[in-house]
Amino acid sequence: MADIPQWLTRPEPYEPPKDRDRFLDRSIVSFVTLLSRFRSQSALERDLLWVSPVSKLAAAVLYVVLVSLARQFGFVYLMLAYAAVLLALLPARELRRCLAGAFAAAALAYLILLPSALAGSRYSITMIPAKAFVCVSFVNLLSRTTRWDRLTGALRRFRFPDLFIFVIDITIKYIALLGEFALQMLYALRLRSVGRNRGKYGSLAGAAGTLFLKSRAMSEELYYAMECRGFTGEYRTARVRPTWRDGVFWALNAGLVLAYFALS
Amino acid sequence: MHIPDNYLSPVTCAVMTAAMVPVWAFAIKKVKKELPKAKLPQLGIGAALTFLMMMYNVPLPGGTSGHAVGGTLIAILMGPSAACVCVSVALLLQALLFGDGGILSFGANCFNMAFVLPFAGYYLYKFIRERVKSKSGEYAGAIAGSYFGLVFAALLTAVEFGLQPLLFRDAAGQPLYCPYSLSVSIPAMVIPHLLVAGPVEAAFTVLILAFVKKVSPDLAEPLPGKKTRGVWGLLLALVCAAPLGLLASGTAWGEWGMDEIAGLAGYTPAGMASGFSFNALLPDYSVSGLPEVLGYILSAVLGTAILVIVFKLIASRKKPAGQH
Amino acid sequence: MIEFSGVSYAYDTAPALRDVTFSIAAGESVCLLGPNGSGKSTLLRLLNGLIFPTGGSYFFEGREITAALMKKAAFAKQFHQRVGFVFQDSEAQLFCPTVFDEVAFGPRQMGLDEEQTARRADDCLALLGIEALRGRQPYHLSGGEKKKVAVAAALALNPEVLVLDEPMNSLDPRTERALAQFLLQLEAAGKTVIVSTHDLRLAARLSKRAILFDESHAVAADGETAALLADRGLLKKANLVDWEEE
Repeated sequence: MADIPQWLTRPEPYEPPKDRDRFLDRSIVSFVTLLSRFRSQSALERDLLWVSPVSKLAAAVLYVVLVSLARQFGFVYLMLAYAAVLLALLPARELRRCLAGAFAAAALAYLILLPSALAGSRYSITMIPAKAFVCVSFVNLLSRTTRWDRLTGALRRFRFPDLFIFVIDITIKYIALLGEFALQMLYALRLRSVGRNRGKYGSLAGAAGTLFLKSRAMSEELYYAMECRGFTGEYRTARVRPTWRDGVFWALNAGLVLAYFALS
Repeated sequence: MHIPDNYLSPVTCAVMTAAMVPVWAFAIKKVKKELPKAKLPQLGIGAALTFLMMMYNVPLPGGTSGHAVGGTLIAILMGPSAACVCVSVALLLQALLFGDGGILSFGANCFNMAFVLPFAGYYLYKFIRERVKSKSGEYAGAIAGSYFGLVFAALLTAVEFGLQPLLFRDAAGQPLYCPYSLSVSIPAMVIPHLLVAGPVEAAFTVLILAFVKKVSPDLAEPLPGKKTRGVWGLLLALVCAAPLGLLASGTAWGEWGMDEIAGLAGYTPAGMASGFSFNALLPDYSVSGLPEVLGYILSAVLGTAILVIVFKLIASRKKPAGQH
Repeated sequence: MIEFSGVSYAYDTAPALRDVTFSIAAGESVCLLGPNGSGKSTLLRLLNGLIFPTGGSYFFEGREITAALMKKAAFAKQFHQRVGFVFQDSEAQLFCPTVFDEVAFGPRQMGLDEEQTARRADDCLALLGIEALRGRQPYHLSGGEKKKVAVAAALALNPEVLVLDEPMNSLDPRTERALAQFLLQLEAAGKTVIVSTHDLRLAARLSKRAILFDESHAVAADGETAALLADRGLLKKANLVDWEEE
């Protein structure tokens, strides 16, 4: 092996040149946030809000439809109160993130609709941000109080084929796996971004391209694993039996539907 | 490009979802034919990759950054049908699990990003590649395909938005969903995509494609495609049918004649609101459309819930954060 | 130069490090010993300014490394030039089309002209014995080759501190020996070398000082490597050996 060259034995008097790479930090934050979602949902030993995942899923879709159809603020207000009650039941950390998402959606709607409101159209700016808040809250409540494997298992009830649910489960698993790898690459890029990178696009393309190659390698392994296990498309997921609570829940939902028609 | 809920009427969403059903059927059938059963789960990995591609913050000139979609890239790398499935699954998970919203608008989002973007982009790429048989032909195809695919998808999104105020109004004439008509939505969406998002998408696509081709050229070839003509027909038919379907259903719904629609395409809102009085949303705790007692009760419930929420948030603030 | 003062870190609610305190002076060679899950990787990420303590403070050359400070681009860039990091998974660390580009990436960023860059890159490739891989694509190299490229790429920045996370994982014996030899050369040249490992033999070879972590995510011992490794009872308690030898 060679001898250590001179420049390595001397300290480096280095003044970094200016460069704009906020995109790297922002990408890192996106991926870190993504991965922490996985950690918090897998920590759910028991689903919160104690109704079966099938009911929750169907109800969330129902609520979004009803709120979207509503033309009077009254019904939206009712659903807002309902959502607030459910949110108040969440543990603080999940609550904070739910609220952040819902407020962000409402704020975005408000900004987008401001020009039309200033031009005289009041309905949109009154209704749509509130609707956005309510809808995003319910969807977040769904995904933050249910463990995701139970949620995808609930899809079977809606006549989705086993293979489809398997693909979705694989997707979720590999978003976590590949996401971790992608984050490592972004860290690697950041660690070596010590100056001006004229080839920013090239570096990012390298990171994303390597991610693709890694995903292909993982696909190969998955295929071999499937072959070794004699995969035929059969896929069983844990079934969560509905209880009396679901009965009460759907009575409540029936009431909400009636309220929708009453308040139209 | 992701359309959240409540900007498109449920009717529009239903129409767009109906339009996607044959596309999904076609894509799934094609993928099943070309992949052995044990390879089908790989679509999950493709979907995961698609999902993650959409998360990269891409630098823009001037120091800002944006996002690419990557639909055409995935179509070039995996074939358009597989791309359709992968993007659809990615959008489904974004909507359901990651709280990005878009449950009702799922069909519309899929139409724009899982159908038009990959298919239009891919077939343009293929068209150019077959005519210019060289390496630069392939890259030119990737650039053109991803650029025009995205712009076309943006145009359709703008049309979906812009038709809302024409078709869905309440008795007082106020638009119920997106209030911006075609004359506003089309320039507002298409111009930024033409100037910024399109080039970003094209750069993202061609650079990653170039990297993959350099490092693992065999992986950059998707499954061999069969006759392209059939799909052109399907593409054209669906793209024409969807807006017509929207108009037709809206016409039945809103009882607008065709000439009234044309006249309103240049809709400008009547009157400027100087001294815009923003009626307090909840004057005296009564809410429009609710009997007074119910309004009181709901306000009490809402108020209590808000207090609980605020307390919880304050209590949890004591713990410091550890990551930037 | 490097000072950890009561540093703790928790992922959401799960603790990864508890109340860790130690100092490392310039030019020291230190080994972080501990079983899997004891928090070594977390500590290395803290050391490199990728994450920040949830409790306590980390000082580098007297400045506290915080999220706010690392948001300042000028400081962050300088910091990353002075502290080089080699990941456990080399695959995640390489993103350039050729090995030469990978190693030249750092010097190019630093503003060195192409001639200087090429000289540095060639030096690093020669040091690691991988000149033959110059034009190859990193993705297709073997595990050992990838590791060497990653080390060369980090080295090209001329960092004062080189941090390596489980560097010998999945390396064949010959590559392992070569890399260990190389690290000793670096130590002799005055670099601060920090290695995390659960391999006791490696620790004995490489580092004069060892900091031992146990499964409670805290520091169990900190001192001369030879002395630490001789204390079998201590090592068993930390779950680094599971039978009494000799």
